Amino acid sequence: MRYGQKGSLRRLWAQSRRWLGFIALLALTFAFIFPILWMTSTSFQAGEKMFQLTTEWIPSVWHPENYPNAWSRANFSQYFVNSAIVSIAVMAGNIVFCTLAGYGLAKFRFPGDRFVLLAILSTLMLPLEVTLVPTFLVIHQFGWINTYQGIIGPLLIDAFGVFLMRQSILAIPTDYIEAARIDGAGELRILWQIIVPQCLPALAVLAIFSFRDSWDQFLWPLTVVSLDQYRTYNLGLVQFGEDYGNPPTEQMAIAVLATIPVFVLFWILQRSVNKGFGLSGLK
Amino acid sequence: MASILTTNQAPGRDAARRPARPARRGWRLHYSRRIQLWGASFVLPTLLFFAVFKYGPMIWAVELSFTSYDMVSPPRSLGLENFENLATDPIFRESLFNTIVYIAGSTVLITLVGLGLALAINTAVPGARYCMSAMFLTNLMPILAVCLVWRFLLHPYGLMNQLLEPFGIDRVDWLTDSRTAMPAIIFVTVWRFAPYFMVVFLAGLLAIPDDYYEAAQLDGANAARRFWHVTLPLLAPMIFFVIVVSALLSARIFLMPYIITGGGPGNATRVLSMLIYETGFSYMKMGRAAAISVVLFTIMMVFTFLQMRIFMSREQV
Repeated sequence: MRYGQKGSLRRLWAQSRRWLGFIALLALTFAFIFPILWMTSTSFQAGEKMFQLTTEWIPSVWHPENYPNAWSRANFSQYFVNSAIVSIAVMAGNIVFCTLAGYGLAKFRFPGDRFVLLAILSTLMLPLEVTLVPTFLVIHQFGWINTYQGIIGPLLIDAFGVFLMRQSILAIPTDYIEAARIDGAGELRILWQIIVPQCLPALAVLAIFSFRDSWDQFLWPLTVVSLDQYRTYNLGLVQFGEDYGNPPTEQMAIAVLATIPVFVLFWILQRSVNKGFGLSGLK
Repeated sequence: MASILTTNQAPGRDAARRPARPARRGWRLHYSRRIQLWGASFVLPTLLFFAVFKYGPMIWAVELSFTSYDMVSPPRSLGLENFENLATDPIFRESLFNTIVYIAGSTVLITLVGLGLALAINTAVPGARYCMSAMFLTNLMPILAVCLVWRFLLHPYGLMNQLLEPFGIDRVDWLTDSRTAMPAIIFVTVWRFAPYFMVVFLAGLLAIPDDYYEAAQLDGANAARRFWHVTLPLLAPMIFFVIVVSALLSARIFLMPYIITGGGPGNATRVLSMLIYETGFSYMKMGRAAAISVVLFTIMMVFTFLQMRIFMSREQV
């Protein structure tokens, strides 16, 4: 006890405050993740335990067969593939076109560039929910009803992504680009070898959000798809709940499976995503 | 240099259409003009895309809103009739009211909860980084799964009522009582979106230099005063940004009321986006649906202009 009575008391207080803070934060975190835990635990329960008076967090009897049972009740393999095709295409489209447009707007001056930037930003007020009817009519004119390109088309580029890439490319010193030009590098090569490597964190953020948003799409596929073979996973999941007699525990099993792809993508990109948000300094 | 001069013919062709300064030395363009063209051609695909899928449809929506159209017979001009009918339609009025209540409620709560969470994470508590990642998972969970789970949790015999029972609160029919249905949906919205804005705020908090806090501490400011006089003013632009973005986000909400309550009880949680879908695709009244779109568009335009003003003022700094 080198610090004497008073010092050690203060230290004790500081330490217990740290622990109190830790416990409070843990409780807060639990408040946010308990529905995810509930979903997972319920997906392994027997159907009749759904609304018991006390929730069983760890099932007394595990029912992993909920998963294959649910999967076989509808054409979920096809729905899963459809959602994957749509989401990967939308993610790729956003990555390519948002990077191009973001670079063009961040590092080039051309007549009307300011206006173009505002025009792109203004599409934030035109989400699919607003333009639903005419967008459907456009897709109808193209003959794209009940096709993959019909689902993917209107989602391919999002103004948010353009804005994100522009802001991130703005931070790259223009000198790098000038130097490369003087060395004789072509514009596409500058983009690929200088710009892209420096905005990987922003690209990771863009990848995860564009994938999640298209994986989440419900209203648009609902509008543009009427054939079962083009249904996305979400449409199948809702249909599954509406069909009479499907146990809710099995619906939760399908919901768990719907959650996995986005979580896995986040897990792969986590380090870059943290950097992309500017969270590297977090303790 | 030679490689630049020979590899880019496409912009040269574009330039032929430009009425501005004529190209020098045949197809070879002036160096700076050529770089300008590269920049413009990088942006061009995105602009064309938006012309086809955003600006075009919006113009079409305005046109359709003055007609009656069912995709079978050609559009029949109605003048302002769609809008006049909407103004007296109780379901539309209720949906408009619900949309505004929903935007206001979720925007305020998302901002407050998001900021609160960011402040909690930003304390030097051990494990804060992992808590943040865990909370962020709610933002990555598919919205549909969120809706399905909360529909069960808010069921009269669901977990929510079980948790409240020890506090002497009687069973609440969260989703079938017209007084609690909308607050319940706002609650789920906040649960889902607040962690995203927590991350946005956290980035803002981390960007504030420690020196400011140290200086304030030396001047004898306690934690509350440091928050009020240092954190809040520096975070103000970000708070406005979050308010506008979450307002835009909640104005377009569809899935939550559609899945959790189906717009009910009665029309208590019916919002404009649901009404657009039902009017256009269940009743095939596309002209009327387009008129509702124009109303929703007007609401979103207000927030978008606010956002642009914030953006422009920040760019000038």
